[in-house]
This record gives sequence, structure tokens and C-alpha cells, in this order.
Amino acid sequence: MKQHTLGEFEELVLLMVATLHDEAYGVAILEGLEEKLEKKVSISAIHVALKRIEDKGFVKSRFGGITEDRGGRRKKFYAVTGLGKRMLDAQFELRSSLYKLIPKISFG
Amino acid sequence: MKPIPPKRALQFLRWFCREDYLDEIEGDLLEIFRKDYEASPKLAIRKFTWNVLKHFRLEYIKSFKSHHHTNTADMFHHNLLIAYRNFLRYKSSFLINLIGLSSGLACALLIYLWVNDEWHVDKFHTNRDRLYQVKENVEQDGGMITRITTSGPTAEALATEMPEVEYAVTNTFDHIFHDVLSIEGNDIKAGGLYASADFFKLFSFELIQGNKNQVLSDKKSIVITEGLAKQLFGTTENIVGKTVEWQHKKQYQVSGVLQDLPALSSVKFDFILTFEAFKEDNNWVLNWFNTAPQTFVLLKEGTDIERFNKKIADLVRTKTEGNANHRTPFIARYADAYLYGKYENGKQAGGRIEYVRLFSIIALFIVMIACINFMNLSTARASRRMKEVGMKKAVGARKSSLVVQYLSESTLICLLSLLIAILLVVLVLPQFNTIVGKNLTLHFNLKFTVGLLGLVLLTGLIAGSYPAFYLSKFKPVTVLKGKLNNFAGEVWARKGLVIFQFTLSIILIVSVWVVYKQIQFIQTEKLGYSKNNIIIIRSEGKIDEKKETFISEIQKISGVMAASNGGHDMTGHNGGTYGIEWPGKDPENRTEFENMAANYGLIEMLGISIKEGRSFSKNFADSSSIIFNEAGIKLMGLSDPIGKEVKLWGRNMQIVGVVNDFKFESFHEQIKPAFFWLQPNAPNIMIKIEAGKEQEVIAQLQKFCREFNPGFPLDYRFLDADYQSLYAAENRVSILSKYFAGLAILISCLGLFGLAAFNAERRNKEIGIRKVLGSTDFAIVRLLSADYTKMVLTAIFISLPISYILAKSWLGSFAFRIELEWWFFVGAGLIALLIAWFTVGILTIKASRVNPSECLRGE
Repeated sequence: MKQHTLGEFEELVLLMVATLHDEAYGVAILEGLEEKLEKKVSISAIHVALKRIEDKGFVKSRFGGITEDRGGRRKKFYAVTGLGKRMLDAQFELRSSLYKLIPKISFG
Repeated sequence: MKPIPPKRALQFLRWFCREDYLDEIEGDLLEIFRKDYEASPKLAIRKFTWNVLKHFRLEYIKSFKSHHHTNTADMFHHNLLIAYRNFLRYKSSFLINLIGLSSGLACALLIYLWVNDEWHVDKFHTNRDRLYQVKENVEQDGGMITRITTSGPTAEALATEMPEVEYAVTNTFDHIFHDVLSIEGNDIKAGGLYASADFFKLFSFELIQGNKNQVLSDKKSIVITEGLAKQLFGTTENIVGKTVEWQHKKQYQVSGVLQDLPALSSVKFDFILTFEAFKEDNNWVLNWFNTAPQTFVLLKEGTDIERFNKKIADLVRTKTEGNANHRTPFIARYADAYLYGKYENGKQAGGRIEYVRLFSIIALFIVMIACINFMNLSTARASRRMKEVGMKKAVGARKSSLVVQYLSESTLICLLSLLIAILLVVLVLPQFNTIVGKNLTLHFNLKFTVGLLGLVLLTGLIAGSYPAFYLSKFKPVTVLKGKLNNFAGEVWARKGLVIFQFTLSIILIVSVWVVYKQIQFIQTEKLGYSKNNIIIIRSEGKIDEKKETFISEIQKISGVMAASNGGHDMTGHNGGTYGIEWPGKDPENRTEFENMAANYGLIEMLGISIKEGRSFSKNFADSSSIIFNEAGIKLMGLSDPIGKEVKLWGRNMQIVGVVNDFKFESFHEQIKPAFFWLQPNAPNIMIKIEAGKEQEVIAQLQKFCREFNPGFPLDYRFLDADYQSLYAAENRVSILSKYFAGLAILISCLGLFGLAAFNAERRNKEIGIRKVLGSTDFAIVRLLSADYTKMVLTAIFISLPISYILAKSWLGSFAFRIELEWWFFVGAGLIALLIAWFTVGILTIKASRVNPSECLRGE
């Protein structure tokens, strides 16, 4: 099977899904990201990223109950799959291993 | 109160968004909207709309596949698959259908292109609904004839006296002359006509320079086409106002430049001079007695044509104070003149429209023949598919879905055929264009494409209808048991269709034969004069001034056998006069005699034989001698005519000779009375050239003319080519019908071949058993072909009377025609029978030579 790659923004969204654990849906992810990144994020960008990581199998989704707030629309909750977790681990490992290789000299 | 998101944006989101993402997207957007709304309602609304737009991405757009009709879509897919597998499995019948339908459709397409073009000729004039041509019914001894020539003052009289007429113009459409136009030593021969000032208000020939209301108002004006402008000036820019010399005689100022004429114009010309200029040189056109130019009127909206015709019926009679009672003017729509140009006894009697109709019918027939192949082959092979039908019905297929299946199969094959047909058309279009003398192109505009698809659907429906209803009728129980009831009706229908195909084919064969024979008759029948190797030159410039010298000089060129001049071009009607009086003439008789001015030697050169008396001769004073043809003498009722006196335009003339009748008009016309009178100054120089030396002599002539007649490029025509052009339509029909008949018989035979192959295969065992029992090969061939022979014989029987009537009516338009011989019909029948035998024969012989042990071994 083709190894799926993970884009930068997709990785952020995936991390956010993992962080929010079981409460991850569009608006919650948006707010979490905006808070951490301290800048405006577009909801459509999040939807697209969610769809892509779902298609790649890194997250799975379920529908929540109907809430009044959403005009009768259900929330779509996302959770990280095993594959997603492994992907995050691999990414983290790659980064920290590379980070460790940085020579200990001062950066002017 | 709850904040309300923008309605339109929400609607749009719901319209485009996939159902499975709508909950998430709409919900999230609403949630954000509500939160934002508390801060700033305006901003929230704007942000919501913007967010909706940002979601308008390929990932979220609904698929166009309709989810409500998945079953139909699946069935359609399934039908296509089954059709495809069937094509692969029964390659021969697939190929037969494909070849038949594609050549049939190609044929129909070609004919459509031609018919469409014919329909649009002269229809581009924006005033076409109000633009009428004045014609005249002229009473003659032999009945009424209709002419498009009118008197010069007609237009003016109509414009001033009839309130219904908006504009009226005179022009010389049917007389395009080739004159020399020159500018600074650049001499160009070009075709021109004369037209009066309002010409461009009637006809939509587009001017690229000049004002259409003024370009012809000054009689020193000339309007030239773009093409001619490029030839003369090398450009179309800034030439208005420049001077062009005409015939090295007169100067005209360019007042306008015309766009090159549309291909759909039936008249072709390169320049226009004013009718005022024509009047100046030809004062005979000023009176009501002479007719030559044509008159056109633009009527006001809503004019009652019949009332108008009644009003103008007496126009000529009034204007001539009763001296030209035989002429009754009437108007007819100019846009129709091209297709409906023929008149008989003053009544409209078809014209080119007959050929348009004829070819449309042929196209229809050929497509029908191809459709019949499809029907026959599919029903005949129904036994192979009855299990399929049985299975489908057993699992619950309705009759209608089976009908749809077979119809889509036939439509699919039609679509494939259409693609091949288009390819074929593209391939043969250049040749087709040379035959029909047009410049047709395939042009895929919306209308044409829709028409094509319509044609495919229609053909598919026709071809598929019978098999679809026939196959879907099967009862599942019986067919699954393996019984196929060959209803008598079905066999009859199949036979009937084959008979129909062959009937059409035989009719076409007879038509081809008759047309070919008639054309051959025209080509070979003695005309009473010789048209071969004679060229005509118009006398102009120096030739006109020193005609006698010119003629005697060119006779010295080796290869020139004779030269003379005359006033008639010996091809068709040129001009006639009723100004001949003879003892006992009824003063009301206005029958016209064809006026053939001639110089010495012309009658001899043309090989017209003298019946009585003598020809013109320099040994006599012949200035008041006249020679008639037999028809003329017969009309006047003179017995022993030589030496008798008649009056020509009031002058006494003595009849010195009678010539045998000769056919100067087309074979459609009876021989008209004609007379020769001596006019050494007549304008057409005719030169007879020794056979085989044409090129040489013409080169010599050109060289001679350059010296003798500088400034006038030599313009010559062959008399026999002119003669051929009288039969352009017939020649075309002859060639085209040959191809179409060939195609029709080919397609019919393909069908027959398919049927015969199927039958031979089905009767395989029967043949085996017969052979075991001692039948000879020949007896089996006879047995197998007997059916087809009967069918073709029936077709012959049906088609002969029909083709007889058709041939008779076509020949009816010729005054001189071949007799219909019985063997044309029997011959055509025999040809059809032989071709059918040949087609079936190959198969039956192969079938009869089968080894019985092989075909009986199975089961």
C-alpha cells in the first residue's frame, strides 16, 4: 500500500484531534488551533484537512446528537485511529531525532 | 430572537453540498455564525457567506449521478454491455448492420448537405419576404411561355403608379457579360451587370465601402467586388473615386466596393454599372415593345400578391395601347425563383425543387433499406436471443424494459454508424462537391449536431422498433423450453421487408438506366448542326471595328478550318422577334421567331443542311434575303416557299432558302421557328478548329489577338461546352443516381446475404439429411434459393409499373426523348435477380457442399 504523507496543516489538525480526544469536531478544532497558533484559521481549511486525513485513514468519525445550537445539524466527531497515532509518533520521532543531531553551537 | 443566517448562502450550500458532509459543514458554520453574531451581526453574515463560498470545492460538490434513478442507470449500463457482447459474438450481422447503416447514413448526410444548400440559395437577402421578381406570361402559337425578361420602363411605371411598391429596380441578372476593365494598362476581364439606383435597397449584397443609397445614383459610377478590386488595384483601400476604363471606351468612377458575393447567391458578378449608363448606349430599352432586362420590386408589408397581380396584369397592354396584348406581367417571390423556376402554360411547374425532392426521397429510401436490414437480421436471429429474453422475463423483466433494451441496442449501432458515416462524408465530400458543383462543408453547429442526434435516434427507433416489440413478446415458458413459434405473420413480415428493399432497388436501377440512356441520347443524337471544335469569341475593341479583316486574318492560321460571325450563340434561346409578317398572318399572332443574324459562311460552318434553295452567297445581293428553318415555314404555312416575300420589321425580304430543323435549344424544348438574315456585323465570332489542334490554334489566336486587339484579353468559349451546360442538372442526376442505386442494391444484398447465411445455418441438419438420402448439391442450392428468387420476382413485379410511371414522367419534361423499351425494365429486374442469386448462391453452394457426417454428428 502506498504510504500516505501528512501535510503540515494536516499534522496540526491531527494533533488537535488527538488533543481534544473524543470532543474533536470542526468548531472545537478551529478554536483550539486559533488559540494555540494565535491567528485566524479558516473553517473550510479545517474541513478539507479533516476530510483528507480521514480519507487517508488517520482519523475516524462518528456523528453526535442533534443540538439546538447548530440548527438541527449533528456534530461530526473525529478520533485518531491506530494508523494516525503511528503516523504522529513517526513524525515526532523523525523530528526529535533530527533535532538531536543539531550541533550544540550557539545560534547567532 | 435567534440570529438568522443569510438565506441565499444557506440555500446555495444545501444545493451544492454532498449529503454526507452537509451536517458537519452546515452545523459548524452555523455554530460559528451564532458566536460571531453576538459580536457583530453584519460581520457574521458576511463571514458566513464567505465561508460557504470557500466550501464550494470539488470534494464537497454533489455528484451529478442521480441517486433516485440508480436502477435505470444500471439497466442502461447492463443493456450497453449486452449489446456490446452481442456485437462481438455475432460479428457478421454486426458488420452487415454497421456497413449498411453507415453507408446509408453517409448517403443521407451528403444529400442533406446538398438539399440544405439548395434551400438556402438566394435566401440571404434580408428583404426576401417582400422581394419579388416581375415575370411575363407570353402567349405563343404553341401555348403560353413564361419569361423573366421585361421591358425597360416597367420598374419606373410600377414604382410611380403602384402604391404597394416601395422600390422597383431594373437589372440584367441573367445577362452577365464579360468586359475588359483596365487601370493603367492592367486589363482584367470580369463579369458585370447593369442595375438601377435602388438596387442595394432590394438585394442584400454587402458594401464594404460606399453608401448603399448612393453608389449607383451617378451614371458614371461603377461598383466592384473585393476580389476584382484586388485584381485591379491590388488593394481594397482608398479606391473609391478612382477611375476605371471600361472596354477601352468609357471611364467610370469607383463608387463602392462590394464584399465578395455569398456562395449562396445564384447570380455571380464582379462589377455593377448603372442602368442609366445602359440606357445611354441602348435606347431600344426605353420602349415597352422590347424586352430584355429584369425587373424586381420591393413590396410594402402586407401586400396581397393576388390582388397586386390582377392590378398589373394589363400593364403592358395599357402602356402599348393594345399593341402587345400577348404579354401579361405578374410577380413571384425572388427567393423562390431558384427552386421554382419552371413554368408551363403560365403556371408554376416545379424546377430545381423536383431534384431536391427526388434526392430527399432517395436518401430516405436508402436509410430505410439499411433499417430493414437491421430489422430482418435481428428478428431472424431472435431464436438465438430467446433464452436471454426468457431468462429476463422469468426474473421479472417487464416488456417495456426489454423494449428499451432493444431500442438502445439499435440506437447504439446507429450512433456507431453515424461516426463512421461522418468519416465517410469527410472522405468523399471533395468528390461529391465536384459532381454537384458546390462547395459544401461539414459544419458542426448546434442545429446540425442536434439534427444528427435526432437522425440517429429516429433511425435507431425505426430500425429497433419491430425487433424490440417482436422479441419482447416472447412467452418465457415456451421460449425457455426451447420452442420458437415461427409465426406465419413474422415470416411474412420479413419477406415483405425484403420485397420492399428490392422494389426500391429495382426502381433505382431502372431510373439510372433511363436517365443514362436519355443523357446518352442527348449526347449522340444528331442536332442538325455541328457544335464540335467551334469556339466563340465576342467581338470587341479592334475586332469590332475591323471584323472583316479579323475574320480573314484568322482564317490564315493553320488549323482554323473556317471562321464567320453571327448574332446567336447557338445554345439556347437568345432573342426572338414577332416582327415577321407573311401573307395571311393573323395580326394577333405574336409567336416569336428566333433571330439568327449571320454572316456569309456561318450556316455552312455550323453544318446546317439546306433543304431547299440556297444559303447566303457573295454571288448574289443578299441584303434582303431571308432563310427559315422548317419549323418557321410550317408555322407560316407556306407551301413552295422559295422566292416568296415576307416582311421583317416592315422590310420586304425574299425567302432564298429553307434549312432543315436543328436543335439549338435544349432537348426539353420543341424546335422553335427561326430565321437567318444577313448581317456581316453580327457580334459573335465563331471559329471552327481542326480536331486535335485546339490548344495550338488557341495559342496562335491569343498571340494574334494581342497584336490585333491590344487591351482585350482573348475570352473564348467552346460551343460544345456551352451545350453541355444546358444539361448540367441532368448530368448531375445521372452520376449521382448511379452511385445511389449502387449503394441501395449493395445494402439490400448485404441484408439478403445475412438472411441467407442465417437460413443456411439453421437448415444445416436438413441439408445433411437430404444429402444422406441422396439429394444432389444442385437440388439443395435450388431449394435454398427458391425462397429468395420468389421474393425478388415479387419485387420485380411490384416495381416495374412504379418505375414505368416515374420514368415516363421524368422523360415527359423532354421534348425529344428516348422511347421506353420493355427491356429496360426486364433488364433491371434481371440485374437485381442475378445480383440476388449471386449473393445467395455463394452461401448456398457452400452450404450444399457440407459433409453430412459433420453436420449430423452433433446432438
